[in-house]
Amino acid sequence: MPRREDERVLRGQAQYLDDVHLDGMLHVAFVRSPFPRARIGGIAKPDGVFVLTAADLGPEVRGLPTQTLPGIELADAAHPVLARDEARYVGQAVAAVVAVSRAEAEDAAELVEVDWEPLDAVVDPRAAPEWLYRYSGSGGDVEGGFARAEHTIRQSFSIPRIVTSPIETHGAIAAPRPDGGLTVWASAQGRDRTRDQLRHALGRDDVEVVVPDVGGAFGSKGAIAPEYAATALCAAALGRPVKWTEDRLENFLAAYQGRGLEADVELAVDGEGRFLAIRARLYADAGAYLYPTTPTPGQTTANLLCGCYAIPACAVEVYGARTTKVPVGPSRGAGRPEAALLVEGMVEEAGRQLGRDPVELRRRNFVREFPHRTPLGYVYDSGDFERCLDRALELVRPERSRDGERLVGTGIGCYVERAGGMWETASVAREDGRVVVTAGSSPHGQGHATTFAQIAADELGVPAEQVEVRFEGGGIGTFASRSVAMAGSAVALACRKLLAEGGDSATVRFESDMVFSSGCYAAVVEVERATGRLTILRIAAVDDCGRVVNPLLAEGQVYGGTAYGLGECLVEEARTDEWGNPLATSFASYHLLTAAEIPPVEPAFVETPSPLNPLGAKGIGEGGSIGVLPAIANAVGDACGRKIDPPFGAEKLWEAIR
Amino acid sequence: MRVSVEINGRPYERDVEPRTLLSDFVRHDCGLTGTHVGCEHGVCGACTVQLDGVPVRSCLLLAVQADGRSVRTVEGLEWGPLQEAFHAHHGLQCGFCTPGILITVDALRGQALDDAQIRDALAGNLCRCTGYVQIVEAVKEALNA
Amino acid sequence: MKPARFEYAAPESLDEALGLLDEGSKALAGGQSLVPLLNFRLARPERLVDLNRIPGCDHVREEGGSLRIGMLARQVQLTELEAWPLLRDAVDHVGHPQTRNRGTVCGSAAHADPAAELPAALLALAARFHVRSASGTRVVAAEDFFVGYLTTVLEPDELLVEIEVPPHPPQWRFVEYARTHGDWAMVGAAVAGDRTALFATGDRPRLTRDLAVVDDPWKRAFLEEALA
Repeated sequence: MPRREDERVLRGQAQYLDDVHLDGMLHVAFVRSPFPRARIGGIAKPDGVFVLTAADLGPEVRGLPTQTLPGIELADAAHPVLARDEARYVGQAVAAVVAVSRAEAEDAAELVEVDWEPLDAVVDPRAAPEWLYRYSGSGGDVEGGFARAEHTIRQSFSIPRIVTSPIETHGAIAAPRPDGGLTVWASAQGRDRTRDQLRHALGRDDVEVVVPDVGGAFGSKGAIAPEYAATALCAAALGRPVKWTEDRLENFLAAYQGRGLEADVELAVDGEGRFLAIRARLYADAGAYLYPTTPTPGQTTANLLCGCYAIPACAVEVYGARTTKVPVGPSRGAGRPEAALLVEGMVEEAGRQLGRDPVELRRRNFVREFPHRTPLGYVYDSGDFERCLDRALELVRPERSRDGERLVGTGIGCYVERAGGMWETASVAREDGRVVVTAGSSPHGQGHATTFAQIAADELGVPAEQVEVRFEGGGIGTFASRSVAMAGSAVALACRKLLAEGGDSATVRFESDMVFSSGCYAAVVEVERATGRLTILRIAAVDDCGRVVNPLLAEGQVYGGTAYGLGECLVEEARTDEWGNPLATSFASYHLLTAAEIPPVEPAFVETPSPLNPLGAKGIGEGGSIGVLPAIANAVGDACGRKIDPPFGAEKLWEAIR
Repeated sequence: MRVSVEINGRPYERDVEPRTLLSDFVRHDCGLTGTHVGCEHGVCGACTVQLDGVPVRSCLLLAVQADGRSVRTVEGLEWGPLQEAFHAHHGLQCGFCTPGILITVDALRGQALDDAQIRDALAGNLCRCTGYVQIVEAVKEALNA
Repeated sequence: MKPARFEYAAPESLDEALGLLDEGSKALAGGQSLVPLLNFRLARPERLVDLNRIPGCDHVREEGGSLRIGMLARQVQLTELEAWPLLRDAVDHVGHPQTRNRGTVCGSAAHADPAAELPAALLALAARFHVRSASGTRVVAAEDFFVGYLTTVLEPDELLVEIEVPPHPPQWRFVEYARTHGDWAMVGAAVAGDRTALFATGDRPRLTRDLAVVDDPWKRAFLEEALA
């Protein structure tokens, strides 16, 4: 079913953050650190300009919240709103400057003089003396597994940072209300979490949040930027609305990035090719400060390290290294692509070292009974990993050739995806012959209104056109591929309650454990021997997201996620130089794939319904970004005869095969 | 400086600084916020408008350069097969890049393009949501309509 | 990413434009390289001299067997050029339809990005660069026009008013490797007859068939394969 959201977008009538205009609105620009690390001796403000620095902030202003999760140890390093005595990454905001236009705010920002004393940068996560977070988990008899192993496979991996790059950057508009409180319009992945983060950062409870249309997020708008808080402080101080629209340079320098992981992994294998234990030490390049979600990718990587396999023992340690770089946080996949690359890379490596077919190794070790509890405590609710693998192999038509001018290889990437979990609310009401659904989880491009209307229409037996969908908060948000399984299930249950009780309206709060989507991606690639040029010949994308509510939209998520992962495979890499200066500062130095680079992708669905929710749904928002990374990496490895770390640029492949 | 630009058939006369970009002029001085700004260095294509019928980056033009000329933005496109095809094929998700794509493709009407040519023609418009597959399908259908 | 303040002049004749050009000013033609630099505040001219209102210089025409490309001819005007296929192939790799509609051929040459396609193609084709200032005219051979990173022989008060391209030899090739469609080249070469111009291999396009001058071994390997 096509989307009801489309028409206003196609007419140019959607309203994104920067489209919001308030009377008397001022604009803020930021003075940012030009150094990876520097002490701030002093800040001289120009006359006649409103400049906010850390010294102007009251004791109630706390910086961004941090979030502890079981097993995670956090440093006392919350991201400050503005740098006070020291700046710890290029681009960190040290002063906010307000003027009547953005251009004039930028003019004035150039007049702020900061007395910088550069300090040594920390670039390599493996050598970083400080940590932002640490996490360790283990379960099963790991030592025993390695002691009994016939073979111990060892491999190291390096996954570069990526810049999430939604086409709409971040932004916030803060306006004082007559009642003394503040209203903040924010480009964000949910209203309530954004509000709570802002309230924490500002140390006041009278902050309300409005989320307008959002031009993409991919995980990068799940936590507020410190600039949102600074913008709110400017508005409060001046008593006028103030807007900050992040520009692309700011997005490259100061928006939290994704991935950034070094890993040493060991896999214990017995004489029959059974996996006995896996252990790993992960070095996350976590950056300079903690966002609330900075530990999420590293922790998720660790917890998914067993992948699709019934490995009885696992031990993993994550060192969340404090480097002098912009912090890291969730980016489409958020630990799941990393975990899939590691475990699938280990399976390939085992195949190579033991002379066994990696497809057979997979079959031998798949989890086949559900629910399945992993050694680290995740409970896989449902799945049929072998059916996904078979379907992917059938679609991709494996090929291999290492003779001649073209090296051809096939790669597999099986994955499990932690999705859903926690809670969402929904209400359903009959009003004047229509049905009004109110859901908590607001969208940023996924088409929630269409899908939720479809769910309500199915449950109530009315045409979808009669269902109106509103987003009014009362939920956690859109992330972790959770919206259909959580908010969609809340909608379904509210409809069922309405039917059962026969009143005019019904409200439901739906809680669930996490569900586990899964899938298998497969790719055939060709590497030109003389130049290292990589051509992706075809990709099979098989996802099991449980019951598919809207196939058109689900395919859209698969194609989009796949392209996201392909970018990481082909071109995306946010590097710094050896002194910690970012090298990715524009779309001239950091590339997103265009329509011309996308290879043929064939999607297919395997449906094993989740028993944990009334829809049997799991999640589809991230599958492509997860599966494609190990599939391409393993195909390149197959073609070139050895493991290579992404991205797979011609120069690197040429080096590897010559 | 005083500039007078016809946008979507309607005259707009405003005072601007010479440094005002056409993208900001259209959006903030004229209130036509359907044109989006994604990178301000000419790569992403979200800000594409037609200048005298030709697709250009409005972030790489000054408003003063459009004085006396005619601009078309997404608000000036009539609803038709192009929009229908994007709707039917799920050619948009967050929709932020969509206006720039519609303006670009609108200028291709009447051309018979194969898949590769469509992909080349779209290569100046970055989309982070869709992976382009359904956009290409929509454009193919619209151009053949 | 908003430009710093500048003065703006839009002269309606070439003479008027030449009278406005000096150390502090910058000529604005297509703006596809200059305006990004303004937006990043990496270029901060006191005055922009917008050439786009000067009539009669947007031609791409054949004259006595040579091709004449006027100061305001847009890159898109090369796309259908049957008789100069090297230019046609090169321009296909320059940016995207929207930037080619606006960007000029002369502007690309004057910007002299060492990774740009058109300077290399013009160098291979032995183009002649017609340069004017208030005090006169000079014609510069392609070999002498590009002198360094983003640098040509143009003085601040001079304009590249026309490029003259001699008849096209029957043998030609254009090869490049770029990360994504329309991106700057990582390495490339334009070949016209016995002239080969390499680009993205140094601070300017260079006329040589000797690939030993290419320091980067992968670029050398790419060119050896592509030009074999």
